[in-house]
Amino acid sequence: MATHTPPAGADLGFESDRLRRVWYGFIAVLLAAGAVALYVRLTQGLTSTNLTSIVPWGAWVAFYIYFVGLSAGAFLVSTLDTVFGLPGLDRISRDALFVSLVSMAVALLFIWVDLGRMDRMFFPFIWRQFSSALSWEIHAYVLYMGVIGSSLYFSMRADLARLADHSSGLRERVYTLLTLHRDETTAAAERVDRRWLKRIGIAGIPLSLFFVVGGEGVLFAVASARPYWNSGLFPVIFVVSALLAGTAFMLLLYVLRTRLLDGATIDRDLVDRMGTLLIGLIIADIAITAIELLISVVSFHAEVIETWQVIMFGEMSWSFWWFMIGAAWVFPLVLLTNESWRRQPSVAVVAALSIAMGVVGVRFNLVVPAQILPVLEGLPHGSYFPTAVEWVSSFGIMGVGLLLYTIGAEILPLTPLPEPESDTQ
Amino acid sequence: MSSADGDVFPGVPNVGREELDAMVDAETPDPREELAKVDADTDLGIEMAEDAKRVSRGELSADDYWAKHDTAAAAEFGDAYRETPNPAVDAGDQTISTDTAESLQCTVGSINSVAAETARTDDGEGGIGAGDEKWGMVIDLQKCVGCDSCTVACKAENRTPPGVSYNVVMEEEHGEFPNTTRTNVPKPCMQCENPPCVQVCPVSATYKMDDGVVNIDYDRCIGCRYCMIACPYGSRHFDFGESYDDEVDEAGEITSPEYGVDRGKREENKSPIGNVRKCSYCTHRLERGEEPACVETCIGDARNMGDLDDPDSEVAEMADSDRAFQLKEDEGTDPNMYYLK
Repeated sequence: MATHTPPAGADLGFESDRLRRVWYGFIAVLLAAGAVALYVRLTQGLTSTNLTSIVPWGAWVAFYIYFVGLSAGAFLVSTLDTVFGLPGLDRISRDALFVSLVSMAVALLFIWVDLGRMDRMFFPFIWRQFSSALSWEIHAYVLYMGVIGSSLYFSMRADLARLADHSSGLRERVYTLLTLHRDETTAAAERVDRRWLKRIGIAGIPLSLFFVVGGEGVLFAVASARPYWNSGLFPVIFVVSALLAGTAFMLLLYVLRTRLLDGATIDRDLVDRMGTLLIGLIIADIAITAIELLISVVSFHAEVIETWQVIMFGEMSWSFWWFMIGAAWVFPLVLLTNESWRRQPSVAVVAALSIAMGVVGVRFNLVVPAQILPVLEGLPHGSYFPTAVEWVSSFGIMGVGLLLYTIGAEILPLTPLPEPESDTQ
Repeated sequence: MSSADGDVFPGVPNVGREELDAMVDAETPDPREELAKVDADTDLGIEMAEDAKRVSRGELSADDYWAKHDTAAAAEFGDAYRETPNPAVDAGDQTISTDTAESLQCTVGSINSVAAETARTDDGEGGIGAGDEKWGMVIDLQKCVGCDSCTVACKAENRTPPGVSYNVVMEEEHGEFPNTTRTNVPKPCMQCENPPCVQVCPVSATYKMDDGVVNIDYDRCIGCRYCMIACPYGSRHFDFGESYDDEVDEAGEITSPEYGVDRGKREENKSPIGNVRKCSYCTHRLERGEEPACVETCIGDARNMGDLDDPDSEVAEMADSDRAFQLKEDEGTDPNMYYLK
């Protein structure tokens, strides 16, 4: 499958040095701008945002649930290989686990800057509230990150050991450390790894579905004061759009990494399969959303219908039509339903990027509109659009994610190493 | 404004200083008549009062004053005199010499120590919100005129920053001209029996006290604002850290001792900035036997405060009447806040 077989331990990282410089330069710009925005946020507090007591949750919360969803989506994509053993997906499952971990870190950064008292971020581990969905979520995240971390370990331990064998100095020490000094590369050792990978993956599926991303939806759905959220389908929407974003993101990364980092040929069958999966997920997302809308319309639930009117015709309706309908659904469907287009890596990349951006619109439309209508007649309507500080700090936090991912992609064997002769013992 | 030079301004009373002083004298009660109403010696009272005025004018020292009257006062009032702390002793700004102070020592200690002793509750279970009452409020919408003085009194009492208003008056106009009606619904925190805000708080920073009031522990709140999302009444506000310093000098010098905690000056990065805030039924006032500021100030006597657990209390009777209702009853929150329609 690879055009040239790199000896184990060599040639992880970018194919082109120029591209590497440009890419790190781009990340540096994001980080620098983000640092300035974060400074403003730290010194001015939440007055630097457009949040109010009427709309207390905004862009940071929307990005937080976006990245939690992305993490869970990517993790579930990895289980297609690690648990369900779908063919061809071993090329992306390890990468998906790493994306899942980085994405979770990014999500937590978002919710951290959103806290009124950032210095009290550890309080949820000191004091708890059994009935709080948020309290449950926070504990689930810790467990979940443990699941991803250990999955990642069992997934790449043997390759790390091989890399340690073929490198020296700092790299060798890092790789050896990451194997936790279990350095056998025998087939038997790898079988043990795969067995544990499957076991942990099986535990991780309900954890990510029910708690991490489904629980995220529950967190909103239990707020009976907001009828738009207070629905049993709401957490399902979270799960489906998380799967959609996660799958799209992995397709995007697979093509880009294979081209730019691995320098290998792209497996068009894999691109085709993931494209088909995306079509299915888009249809599921449309169906669930339509059912949700239909239930509220047919049952004449006035408050929910009013919220839908805000979404479809309010001042932010462009985000619904252009991002949700256009970028997340219609445009990728047009690109992906044609089989010959779908197999084109460049077309797949465009479709996947479109979905990944469109789901940001989905997340904003889940969070903000329910806060626009007053909870009681006679109270003022809300209005919200993020400030420059909120946007730029968000891009900065995403820059942190890109940096973590890129460093990982440059030093870790996120694509399984080609089987060298010496290991077939 | 003085009228001594003969200038007369329309609408301004033309009175001189002597006439004003005479008005004060005319209003002052006759000392002999007043003191005759009590058992104590009238002559001693008048003599002590005259000397006290001399102390104020600086003609007599405080030490001399007590040297002159202490024995006579002790003889007149007996044991009660020695058991009552003398405010001149150990009061932070003691106005008499140590020798005189010692001669005046009260058997139960200084006024400060007695005050501190009185404020302390005897049982260890005490503290804010531990009372036996279940505080409830009833607002008679027929009496509310929509003047918003409750909102103003609340801001003044609780010293809330811009953007934070524990009480608001929702105003709705119904119908078409000329057949219109206007409804004013004052809205503090409902102090729900089943508060959704308490249910969702990930750190249990907000909780229900024994007296029914929902408390917020500003030292624990992480500012996630989930409670604001969950509150069906929009009663919670985030403290963004703004202040009235531009409008009022030293606006943040004093804060209200909400939930019985005196936090001193309002300062950056110090709670409750970055926390969620809401009406506490003026717990700090309830604890000292006063009504919440909004209830006390209401010009139409529309707002009532009392113990809902006491069936004979006015609020319990009102809450039980046919006119009584709660906001969003089908939310299941069961507010301790009733309205009379």
